[in-house]
Amino acid sequence: MLSGCDGRHNWMAGAGEESAQVKTLFIVLMIGAGVIWSAVVGAAIYAHKRGAHPNLEREARQFVIWGGAVLPTVLVGALLVWGLIILRDITADDGDLTVRVDGERWWWRVIYETPEGDVITANEIRLPIGQRALFRLTADDVIHSFWVPALGGKMDMIPGRETTLTLTPQTLGSWGGLCAEFCGGAHALMRFDAIVMEPEAFDTWLAEQAEPAKLSADNPGFEVFQAEGCGACHTIRGTDAQGPVGPDLTHLASRDKLGAGMWDMTPTNMARWITDTHEMKPDIDMPPYPHLNGARLDTLVDFLMRLE
Amino acid sequence: MTNEIDLSQLPPAEPYDKARDEAQRARLMKAWAAPKGWKIVSAVNNSFIGKWYLLTSFAFFTFAGLLALLMRAQLAVPENDLVSQSLFNQLFTLHGTAMMFLFAVPIFEAVAILILPEILGARDLPFPRLSGFGYWCFLIGGIFVCGSIFFGVAPSGGWFMYTPLSSDPRFSDLGADIWLLGLSFIEVSSIAAAVELIVGVLKSRPPGMRLNLMPLYCWYVLVVAGMILFAFPPLIAGDLLLEMERAFGWAFFDVDRGGDPMLWQHLFWIFGHPEVYIIFLPSIALIATMLPTFAGRPMVGHSWIVLSAVGVAFLSFGLWVHHMFTTGLPEISLSFFSAASEAVAVPTGIQIFCFIATMLVAEVRPSVPMLFAGGALAIFVFGGLTGVMVALVPFDWQAHDSYFVVAHLHYTLIGGMLFPLFAGIVYWYPFVTQKMMNDRGGKWAFWLMFGGFNLAFLPMHWTGVMGMPRRVWTYQLTDGWAVLNMVSTIGAFVFAAGFAVFAINVLWPRGKQPLVTRNVWNAGTMEWGAEVPDKPWGVRSIPYIHTRYPLWEQPELLGEMDRGEWLLPDAEEGKREMIVTDILDARPLFVQRVGGPSFLPIGAGVSLGAVFIIATFHLWTLTLLCFAAFVAFTLTWLWTGTARVPEAPEKYVGRGLTLPTYAQGNRAVGWWAVFITMTGDMTAFTGLVFSYFFYWTALPNFLPEAARLPAVLPLTAGVVLLLAAWCMTVFARSTLGKGGRGLSMALLIGALPVGALGIAAWAWAAQAAGLDPTRDSFDAMVWMLILWMFLHLLLSWVMHLYVAARIAANICQPEYRADLMNLTLFGHFNAITAVVTFALLALFPMLMGV
Amino acid sequence: MPKTPHYDAPSVMDQGSIWILVAAPSIWAAHFLVSYWVAAVYCAKSTTGALGGLMEPRWIAVWLGLACIAVIAWLGVIAVRRYGGVFVIFEEITESSERGRDKFIGHVALLLCVLSVVAIVFTIIPGLVFNEC
Repeated sequence: MLSGCDGRHNWMAGAGEESAQVKTLFIVLMIGAGVIWSAVVGAAIYAHKRGAHPNLEREARQFVIWGGAVLPTVLVGALLVWGLIILRDITADDGDLTVRVDGERWWWRVIYETPEGDVITANEIRLPIGQRALFRLTADDVIHSFWVPALGGKMDMIPGRETTLTLTPQTLGSWGGLCAEFCGGAHALMRFDAIVMEPEAFDTWLAEQAEPAKLSADNPGFEVFQAEGCGACHTIRGTDAQGPVGPDLTHLASRDKLGAGMWDMTPTNMARWITDTHEMKPDIDMPPYPHLNGARLDTLVDFLMRLE
Repeated sequence: MTNEIDLSQLPPAEPYDKARDEAQRARLMKAWAAPKGWKIVSAVNNSFIGKWYLLTSFAFFTFAGLLALLMRAQLAVPENDLVSQSLFNQLFTLHGTAMMFLFAVPIFEAVAILILPEILGARDLPFPRLSGFGYWCFLIGGIFVCGSIFFGVAPSGGWFMYTPLSSDPRFSDLGADIWLLGLSFIEVSSIAAAVELIVGVLKSRPPGMRLNLMPLYCWYVLVVAGMILFAFPPLIAGDLLLEMERAFGWAFFDVDRGGDPMLWQHLFWIFGHPEVYIIFLPSIALIATMLPTFAGRPMVGHSWIVLSAVGVAFLSFGLWVHHMFTTGLPEISLSFFSAASEAVAVPTGIQIFCFIATMLVAEVRPSVPMLFAGGALAIFVFGGLTGVMVALVPFDWQAHDSYFVVAHLHYTLIGGMLFPLFAGIVYWYPFVTQKMMNDRGGKWAFWLMFGGFNLAFLPMHWTGVMGMPRRVWTYQLTDGWAVLNMVSTIGAFVFAAGFAVFAINVLWPRGKQPLVTRNVWNAGTMEWGAEVPDKPWGVRSIPYIHTRYPLWEQPELLGEMDRGEWLLPDAEEGKREMIVTDILDARPLFVQRVGGPSFLPIGAGVSLGAVFIIATFHLWTLTLLCFAAFVAFTLTWLWTGTARVPEAPEKYVGRGLTLPTYAQGNRAVGWWAVFITMTGDMTAFTGLVFSYFFYWTALPNFLPEAARLPAVLPLTAGVVLLLAAWCMTVFARSTLGKGGRGLSMALLIGALPVGALGIAAWAWAAQAAGLDPTRDSFDAMVWMLILWMFLHLLLSWVMHLYVAARIAANICQPEYRADLMNLTLFGHFNAITAVVTFALLALFPMLMGV
Repeated sequence: MPKTPHYDAPSVMDQGSIWILVAAPSIWAAHFLVSYWVAAVYCAKSTTGALGGLMEPRWIAVWLGLACIAVIAWLGVIAVRRYGGVFVIFEEITESSERGRDKFIGHVALLLCVLSVVAIVFTIIPGLVFNEC
C-alpha cells in the first residue's frame, strides 16, 4: 500500500478514480512529448550536420507544411477531444456523501452533511473507499485551493462563491492534502490529511465525530482552557467553549496531525504549539501563550490530548 | 495612384566631390552629435536610449536572479530557516514582478529601440524624446518597486496580486500600493514604446521597402507592439479599480459589498497571457534575423513566419482563462480556452519548423549565437510540449500551481526568451561596441547555463508530480521533495555561474582590442551597413531598398550610401531629420524633424514618477503639485518640439526629389501616435466596460431597483452636451482651415464649459440617485465610468487651451494645423467613450427592464 | 525635374489595404468571445444549467462558427485573387513592385484564413463534447 512518506502527495499514485484518469493521460502525454521532442531536436541536429542542400528546397517546404502545420493540428485536435472527454468524466454534480470545506487563514473547516445534521471537524478529512465524495468549497477571507494530489485535481476556494469538486478514492491510506493557491503568510503550512477508510470504519468514525466531547465533570485542564480564554475562539461541543473563530477541538486528539496537517499529534508538539505558536507557524491569528509552563501547561496539554 | 514616383528610375547622383562630402559630414555630425560630459543624460538618440534601456533591464534581471538564488538556497533542504516566511513571500513576488515587468518586456523595447532604426536604414525613431521619457519612467519605477525590499515593504501577494489578498487592508499593506502604482507607471513606458515602435515600423522604413520586403524582425516588432496596445490597458484598468478600492474604499472586489474577486483575475490574465507572447515573439524575432546570416541564405517560408507571428498574436488573447482553470468556471467555458490554448501550438510550431527547414537547405556556420539558438530550440520545444499538456483542463487541475508549472514556465521563458536574447547579444555586440565578444567565454557561458538550467528545472517537473505546490517557503523531510529540491538548487547556482561568465564577457573592457570589420557576420540586413567606427547619424544617406536582404542583394548600396548619393545626405539647417514613408510601399512622403537632446523628457519622467511614488503614501497635495509639474514639462516639450511651422514648405532631399517639410492629418506621424495611443486608451475603457458586464453576469442583483438608478433625463442631457462640445472641436478644425482664427479659438474655448456642464449633469444624476461608491459594486462602477469620462475631459481641456494658445501664437495656422487635427482625433475617441458610457448608464438598465 | 509626391492613405478594404491581414483572425476572435460570453451568461443566468435545443450556447457556437467559416472562405477568395488568382501554398514573393506587395499580402492573408478556420473548428469542439455547464 502506497501510504508511506514519499508518495503521499504524488499525483501519479492514482489513488482515486479522478487521479487515475489523469495518470493515464499523463503517461501518454509524456511518451508523446518524448517522441516529438526527440524528433524535432533530432531534425535540427541532422539539418545542421548535413550541410548545405539547396536542392532540398521543395522537401524543406513539405517539411514545414506537414511537420509544422498539419501534424500539430491533428495531434493537438485529438488531444483536445480526449482531454475534454476526461474532463466530462471526472466532473459530477452529486456524490455519495457531501463534505463542505471552508478555507481559513491557514486551516480548513470541515463539515460533513449527514441526514442527522452537520458534523463539524477541522484539518482532517476521512473518506470511505469507493464512494464519490462531493466537496462544496468556500472561503472566508482570501482565495485558497483544495488539493489532494493522490486522489484528484484541485479546486479553488473563493470568497463569495461556492465551487465543487468530486473525489472517488480507490486506495486505502493516509494521503496528503495541501492549499495550492498562494493565500498569504503561512500558505506553506496549510495542509490536511485525507484518510481513506473502509466504509464501516468510516461510519463509526463519523458517528464518533458527531458526539459531543466526553469529559469528566471535574477537569482541571478544561479550567485552564477557559481561564486562558481559549474558548473564545475554539469550540468544544458539550461545554461552554463555543468560540466560532478557530478550529473545532471537540475531537482534536482523534486527528493525526496538529497545526493544520503539519505536525504529529504528540504532547510535546502540543505544548510547543501553545507556547511557541508563531515560531511553528508565523503570522497566524492564534496568540502564543509563552507564560504557560510547568504543571499548568501539562494539565492543559493532557486535557487536549484526551479530546478523542 | 497619381503622382507615382518610380524610385528605381530616379536620376543618377551627382558626381562625387570630396569637399562636399566632408562638408556634409561635418554638418550631419553637428546635428547628430551627442551632448558632452554629464549632459549626456539629456541624449535621446536611439543608440543611447537603447543602450541604457538594455543595461538597466539587465541590472533588474540580475537583481531578480539574485532573489531567485536566495529562494533556491532556502529550499535546498527541508525545514530551512535561512529566510523568514515573510521575506520569502516578498522574494517570489518581487522575482516574478521584476522578471516580467522590469526585464522581459522592457528588454524587447530596449533591443527594438537599439536596432530597429538601423535595420530600417533610418537615423532614429520618429519620437526619440518619447523613447527618452519612456526610459526614465522605467528606471524610476523599477528602482521604486525593487528598492522596497530593502525596507521590508516589498509587495508580498504574488506577482499576480490576487484580490482579496491584495485589496483587503487586513491582509496587505504598503507593498500592494507600491506594486500597483509602480507598475502602472512602468506600463506607461511600455505603451510609450509601443507607440514609438508601431509608428517606427509603419512610417519610417527606407524608401522602397515595401511590406513584402520588410525584414521579419520588423514584422515581429509591429505585431508585439500591437499586442502591448491591447494587452496592457486592461491591466491598467484593473490597477485603477484596485487602487481605488485600496485608497478610497470603492467596492470593486469586496464580496461583502457586492464586489467580486474574480474580476481581478480576468483583467490580470487578459493582460497576463498575451504578455507571455509579448515576451516570446521578440526573441524569436532575433533568431529569425540571425539565422539567415549564419545560413547565408534567406529564411525559408518568410510569409509563413509572418502568418505565425500574426496568428500567435491573435490566438494569445484567447488563452487567458487557462490560468483560471481551477476557479470553478463552467466546464464549457473552460473548454473554449483549452481549445484556443491547443490551437496556439500550431502557429508556434510553424515558426520552429521554418527555422529547421532553413537549416536543412543551408550550411549553418557554427558560432556562439547559433549555439545559444540551438539551446533555445531544445529548451523551448520541451516547454511548448508541457504547455500542450497543461492546456488540457483535467491535466491542469493536477499541474496548476504545482512545481510542474514552475518548470513549464521557465522552460518556455528561458528557452523562448532568454537564450535567444543571449544569442542576440553575442550577435549584435559588435554592432553596438564594434568589438567582438570572447568566443571561448561565450561557449563556457552557454554550457554552464544550458547544463545548469536543465539541472535546475528538469527535476522540477517531477517535484510537481510529487505534489509540491508553488510559493511555499518550506517543506518537511517526510514530503519526499528534498533530493529533487537540492538538485534544483545546485542547478540554479550553476546557471547563475554561467550568467556571471556571460556578464563578465559583455562588460569586459576592450579598449585595445581591434575594431571589427564592417558587416562582420556578413549579414544581409541593413543595420550591419553602419560605418566602422560608427557615426552618430546612423546612415550617411537614406537608401532606396528593393530587396529583402539589401546587403547581399544590392552590393553597391553601401558605397553609394557612404558617398552621400542617396537621400538626405546633408543637414543644411543643422536639424535632425528623417524621411517619413507610407505604410504599404514606403514611398517617401515628407521630411520629419525629430527631437534632439533635451532635459524635458527627464523632467516629465521624474515628475510623473514622483506623482506615482508620492501617491503610494497618500500625500495628495504633494501628488497634485508634482502632477502640475509634469503637465508643465510636457506642455513645454510639446510647444517647443512638435509641429513647428517649417521655414520652407518643401525641401530638396537629393536624387531629384523634393519633399514637403510638414504633414498633418493621417499623413503625419503625430496623428498616428495619437491614433495608436487612443486605441490603447479605448482598450482600457473596454476593460471597464468588460467589468460592468462581468458584474452583471456574475452577480444576480447587480442592477439595483429603478429608484437607485441615475435618472435618464440628466444622463441624456449630459451626453448631448458632451457631444455638442465634440462638435465644437470638429467645427473649430474646419473653421481654422478656412482661415477663421478668431472663431476657431472661440469654439475651442467655448467647448470647455459645454463639456463641463455635460459631465456635471452626469455627476448630478449619480449623486441625486444616492450612489455611493463605497457602498456596492454598482455604485462604484457608475462612478468609475463617470470619473473616467471626467479625466478624459480634463485632459481634453488642457489640450483645447494649448491649441487655442498655439493659434494665438500663430504656430497653429490655417495651412499648418496638425495640432488641431490631432486634438480632433482625440475628440472623436472621447465622443465614442461618452456614447458607450451613456449606453451603459442609461440604456442598458432600461433594456434589462429595470 | 523635382517632383512633389502626394498620396492619400488607403481606405479600409480596397486593393492595397492591409486590413485584410487582420480580418480573418478578428473573425475568429469575435466568434470566440461571443461563444464564451453566451455560455457564461447562459450558465450564470439559467436556472437549470442544462443545455439543449438549437438556441443553446453549444449550438450557437456551432451555427455562428459555420457562418464565420463562410465569411472567412469569402475573404480567402479575395486573398487568392489578390495573390494572383493562383492557389499557391508556398512561395517567396520578393518582387519589388506594387504587384509583389499585393501578392504577398494576399498570400499571408490566405494562410491566416486557413489558421482562423482551424481555430474556429477548435472552438466548436467543446460544444460537441459537453451538453451542460
